[in-house]
This record gives sequence, structure tokens and C-alpha cells, in this order.
Amino acid sequence: MQTSRQPKPGDRFFRPRRIKQFRLRRVLGIPAVFSAGYGNVGSSIYYALGIVALVAMGATPVALGIAGILFIFTALTYAEGTAALPEAGGSASFARHGFNDLFGFIAGWALMLSYIVTIAISAFTIPPYLGYFWEPFKDSAVIGTVASMGIVVFLMALNVVGIKETSFVNIGAAVLDIATQVSLVIIGFILLFNPTLIISRIVNNWPAPENLIIGIALAAIAYTGIETMSQMAEETKRPEQNVPRALVMMIVAVLVIFAGISLVSLSAMTPQELASDWSRDPVAGIAANLPLALLQDVLKPLIAILAGTILLIATNAGLIGISRLAFSLGKHRLVPPALSRIHPRFKTPYISIILFSVIAVLIIIPGFFEADVFKNMGALYAVGSLLAFMFAHASIISLRIRRPGMPRPFKLGWNIKIKKRELPVSAILGICALGIIWIIILITQPYSRWVGLGWMVAGIIVYYFYRKRENLPLTHTPENQEKQ
Amino acid sequence: MEFQRILVPVVGSEADVEALKLAIRLAKKEKGKIWSVYVVAIKRALPLDAEIRPEIDEAESILDHMEILAEEEDYEVETDILQAREVGPAIIDEAAERKVDLILLGVKYKRRFGQFSLGSVAPYVLKNSPCPVILYQH
Repeated sequence: MQTSRQPKPGDRFFRPRRIKQFRLRRVLGIPAVFSAGYGNVGSSIYYALGIVALVAMGATPVALGIAGILFIFTALTYAEGTAALPEAGGSASFARHGFNDLFGFIAGWALMLSYIVTIAISAFTIPPYLGYFWEPFKDSAVIGTVASMGIVVFLMALNVVGIKETSFVNIGAAVLDIATQVSLVIIGFILLFNPTLIISRIVNNWPAPENLIIGIALAAIAYTGIETMSQMAEETKRPEQNVPRALVMMIVAVLVIFAGISLVSLSAMTPQELASDWSRDPVAGIAANLPLALLQDVLKPLIAILAGTILLIATNAGLIGISRLAFSLGKHRLVPPALSRIHPRFKTPYISIILFSVIAVLIIIPGFFEADVFKNMGALYAVGSLLAFMFAHASIISLRIRRPGMPRPFKLGWNIKIKKRELPVSAILGICALGIIWIIILITQPYSRWVGLGWMVAGIIVYYFYRKRENLPLTHTPENQEKQ
Repeated sequence: MEFQRILVPVVGSEADVEALKLAIRLAKKEKGKIWSVYVVAIKRALPLDAEIRPEIDEAESILDHMEILAEEEDYEVETDILQAREVGPAIIDEAAERKVDLILLGVKYKRRFGQFSLGSVAPYVLKNSPCPVILYQH
């Protein structure tokens, strides 16, 4: 007999109809939310470092650091939003409450783009890590790309059938992630760290200002977990208290580990090596450049297996995340009901899973013949995620203006008062900085500009016709017409 | 031992019927209370509050049957549907919240790969339960 039981991710229950109303029972605590969030963020270091190095070169740690500050602003905004509105949907939900349904849809659609690109990038970076076991995975563009597409299709099939994923997977991935990354940082600092060398590599390989800004934008890819944690608010015990605390814990962990790994990587290899040979598997590059042969022999296969596994879990988490998001948007009638349709036998949202997997595969296809596909994927991710983050900031500001009296269990400090309304400085700075970066990405990156804006325009057209067909106004849904 | 608060998780098998009858016999002595719950497991690709109509309808009909059965035994049972990611933790959480004295779980005789198998729920409940557990195999 057990006297106490630790709740795990997913242990939250609610009661439909029988008691006439939903009774939420939230049992996730801070450790569970933190591990789920970090499981997501921690996986991104396996590719974020390489993507950023492709453009920011020597200034990679600087770009990650500046993005880290913006990440703090964004995480704080999410903390206020999630504590006030603990429901699935993240920035889409904030925008729906802060503005209206149309803005909620735009934020959700942008979020979907970032989820799809996360799936594509995670899958695209698995083969290079597995290249340790079979070199063509890393060296051959065709084999690597086919393998990445195969991974997405495989996960699509698994999720349509509905695999039984226990909560142990989430916690296990987070623990593995942190253990591997901390070990690598410690080993790297002991064996490789050389401040003079790092400074000379940073100074001698300083990029053009434009590239530094793009590098900062691409570095946002390292901070994907904020949205995941916000999505989990619905399953968290005392979300108004626990989600902000888990977010703050993640800010600290992520900044420390990312700073450590980026500095170690520049000690281990030159920015040119990081941006070419090891761009898709930078952490493997660190292991391969350790000075002790014995450590290399142990760490190289270990990193290959760990990174492959963690990225596979991250790809799957992206697929699950986007299906849930689509279902949540469908519930508020922001996307056509087909995306919420559940398979009669497998009980999974099969249309969402298949559709988004196919789009992720399409995004990977240029990997066959285009050299800078990896950078393009990163920039495309930035277009979606920065837009979603901007909506999050704007919605928090809008809620402060339109609903100043709403309960805010976590309220951002450092406010300026305008017409008796308190506006958070961090959100204002966040939206301005992200807006500038977003515009620069659109101006300088033609692939992201056309694909990203094309995605948004296509979404708005679908939204327009869907709402017209359903006889719903574009900006709000009458309460009695929301899906129950 | 006295069992005044008994939880009977059900899935719609014959073992559930017998488990509920046993729970009623045990509870009658102490004028105890019985809760019967059906757990709908929601896949992770869906939000937890996703309403899967066929599953809910099935749960409703199984719990209705349990209520009728209890009436036939001249007893009252409170029924509920839970939605959760995993069945085992949902049962344990329910037991902890209701502060039950006993979990009475009906299990079917099952074979997996030629071997007798209890499945995953019963072992989880046995391992994590905050109170005594009786497995009733049919």
C-alpha cells in the first residue's frame, strides 16, 4: 500500500455530463509541468545551436543571449496570461480573450505553423545524429531527407492508431535531457573552456548586423517550450500559482544550460565548423571534439542515441501538440470541424494528424536539393512563433486595458500608467523587439516571407469561408453556438 | 475490517457486476457508501476535455446498468464518469479524493501471449492504492 503518490503529467481528470457540469480535477504539480516543458525546450538545443551559427557565426552565444532576454519577457507574459486564463490554446486563447475570435484564429494559425516546422526540423535533425552509426544518414542529402520524411510518416501512423504513451516518457525525456546537457557542459568547461580562444573566435567571426538580427530571430527556436507549458495549464493543479513558478524555473534552467552549451561549442570548434560540418548535429560536434579519445568513444554513441531519442520524442510531441491545438480551435469554431473529427475506431483526431504530417513532409522535401533548407526552416519557424508571441504580448496589454479588474493571480511588475491603466513594460518591450525582428525576417528571407505569409493568407481565407458557411460573425461566436 | 466507503471501478464486464454485488454485501453491514466510476481514457493527441460521444454513451449505459443492479439489491450507488490520460492513476486519485476504505476491482480472466495476465490497471492500483484493494476475478 502506498501512502503518498506523486502526480505525473497527464494525471488530470474531469467529469462530463453525469454531474451536469464539468468538474476539473487538476493534479499536475510544478515538477510535472516543468519536466513536460523542459522536455520540449531541451530538445531544441540539439538543433538550435547549429541553425543560429549558420547566420550569426561567432556571435552565436550573443544571439542566444539576446534571444534569452526576449524569452524572459515572453515567458513572463505567458505566466500572467496562463495564470489568468488557465485553458488550452496558449497565445490563441489569450488573443481570443484579449481581442476577438479573428485574432484568436490568427494567433492559433501562426502557432500551428511553428508546430509544423518544429516537427519538420526535429525530424530533419535526427538522421545526422544517427550518422555516427551509419554515415550516409549524415553525409547523403537524399538518404537523410528520406529518413526524416520516413520518421514523420512513421509517427503519423503511430498517432493515428494511438500509441499508449505513459507519463514516464515525458519525465524520462526531461531527466535524460538535463543530465546529458549538464554533463556535457561540465565536461566541456573542464576540458575545453578557454576564454581567450572564445573571445577571439567571437570577435574574429562577428557577423553583419543584419545576420545578427536574423540569428536572434532564429534563436527563438530554442525557446519553444513556453507554449507547451501554457497548453498544459488546463491539466495543472492550482495553475495560477504553479504554471508561473514552473515557467520561472524553466527560464533559469534554459538560460544557464544554453549559455553553457553555446560557450562550450565555440571552445570545441570554430564557428565555421559549427555552421558547416556540425550545423544539424552541433551537440555531436562537441562530443567529437573532446580532447580525450576515451571520452569521445563513450560520448559519441551516447549522444547519437540520446539526441536521436529525444528528438524523436520532440517530433512526436509536436504532432500531439498541434492535434490538440487544432481540436481546441475547433471547439471555439475557429477552424473547420474536419480538423476535430475523431476516428471511430482509434479515437484519435486522424484528419489533423495526417494533414499536418503531410505539410511537415512537404517542408522537408527541399532537403533533397536545396543547400540552405535548414536555415529556411528556422526562419519559417521564427515567422510563425514570433507572430504568436507578439499576439501573446498584445493580448496581455489589451486585457490590461479592456479588463483591468479581472483576477490576475500572477501580475507582471514594472508597469507604466496611462489613463489609469497599468501597462507592463516587459510586454511592451517584448512586442516592439519581436515586431522589429519579425519584419526584418520577412524582408530578408524570401522563402519564409512567401511560405509564411502564404500560410497565413490561406488560413484567413479558409477561416472567412468557414465562418460564412456557418453563419457566424468573423469576430465572435455566440456562446450558445460553441461546441460542447 | 469495516468498509464504509467503497469504490468500484467498472468497464462493463461480467466481473464488474459480481464486484458490485460483493461491494453491496460489504457495505450493507456498515450502511456504507458505494461509488462506481467509469474512466474514459483520452489519447494524448486530444485535449483532456474532448468529448468522445460513443465512449461517453457507452459509459453512461454501463453506469445506468450498475444503478439498476444496485436498486435490485435494494441499495444505492453513486456513479460517475472520469476522463483521464490513464485509467490506473484516475482510479487512485478518485480513491484518495473520496477517502475510500476499499477499492473493489472486477478483473476478467485474460491471457496474453499464452500467459495469464492482469493487464496494466489492476497492478497499478495494487501498487499505488492508499487503501486495501480486493480483486474479484470472474
